[in-house]
Amino acid sequence: MRDAVELEWAGVPSVPIIHKAVQGSAESMAKLSGVPDYPFVLADYPYIPTAIWSDQEIQTLADEVVPGILSLLTRGT
Amino acid sequence: MASAEQHEYGSYDELIEDYYARGWTDGLPVVPPTPEKVSAFLAAAGLEAGEVLGEVPTREVTVTAEHAAINAVMAGCRPEYMPAVAAAVRAHLHEKGNCHSTTGTLSGAAQAVILNGPVRLELGVECGSACFGPGFRANATIGRALRLVVRNVCRGIPGVLDRASFSTTMRYSFCFGEDEENSGWVPLHVERGLAPEDSAVTVASVMNLTPVTDFTARTPEAVCDSLLKFLTRGVATDRWLGEDNNVVLVMGPDHRRYFDAEGWSKDDIRGYLWPRFFKDGRNRVHLGKPEGLLIVAAGGPGMGETWILFPHLAWAITQRIDPARG
Repeated sequence: MRDAVELEWAGVPSVPIIHKAVQGSAESMAKLSGVPDYPFVLADYPYIPTAIWSDQEIQTLADEVVPGILSLLTRGT
Repeated sequence: MASAEQHEYGSYDELIEDYYARGWTDGLPVVPPTPEKVSAFLAAAGLEAGEVLGEVPTREVTVTAEHAAINAVMAGCRPEYMPAVAAAVRAHLHEKGNCHSTTGTLSGAAQAVILNGPVRLELGVECGSACFGPGFRANATIGRALRLVVRNVCRGIPGVLDRASFSTTMRYSFCFGEDEENSGWVPLHVERGLAPEDSAVTVASVMNLTPVTDFTARTPEAVCDSLLKFLTRGVATDRWLGEDNNVVLVMGPDHRRYFDAEGWSKDDIRGYLWPRFFKDGRNRVHLGKPEGLLIVAAGGPGMGETWILFPHLAWAITQRIDPARG
């Protein structure tokens, strides 16, 4: 989350991908960074955030999160 | 000049219940940080309230000496512990200490606070039997003071920026000293560039604490071979902090006796272990340099035991303790 916020400060459009296991931490970080409503894409189970995923799982997860990433990157400001 | 906001309470019971309600403790009772006590702690370390000990840029946090003193009082420290607490806070907040990561991680890493030099004897820091555990005021409260700074100043609060899946009891406090008097080895702080008469604190992240128990080894080589079995598994593989990462070995007297008998130095141990880290051209221990293996003499007799402090993603940072300047 903080990486994305700092990239935005540097003028680079960014989208954080946050796993549900650390969603609270990401929201806290957005709040203390002064952007409490900064949007992010949520990755969820069954993908355990620290697991080693199979190629198929990575493909499936990517299919799930990419639409959200594109939506946030291309939305008007 | 003190700047912290002040609250008034009619009794200790009222205070502690309010502290619990506000989330200002680690779950255990704390000592009320009265302005008088905080001032005494700052004076004991020769620190001005507003002096900056370090920052957590990712969390918009600046840690001042007053912050550290308030939490040192709350932890149960004596005023004369304050220079060690301030040094521990500085070490923890060193850029390569990577405090944001070690206190926020899902893995629930802890911080080991290792004391060297005369300060151990002056403060009564336990270095021998049971030194990892409860029962010693200096050990318990210096380590707790750092953890209260992590919680109350650096926002390392479970469920907020502390996202540990399990966390660890080491996060209440984990502080001990090197048993310099019962070891012929060069102390940790001297190996890291300080003088023997200096006092120092080394803060090392601990992702897991692994005992290597071997009652049958009777030679330095045999003890080292036992260590190798454990060292070659379990170290974080990330190398993005560069080649100066660390693993800490804390060796008890019933392993050290075999090294003493044959005159092995800490460097001799590294010299034996380092080439054996490699197999098929690959270093199985994710250390960049032999000197990254830090060796500390501590613990009591009875068990043939050495403990490995495997790191989270941080260097171990050694900070000189200046009695007059925190």
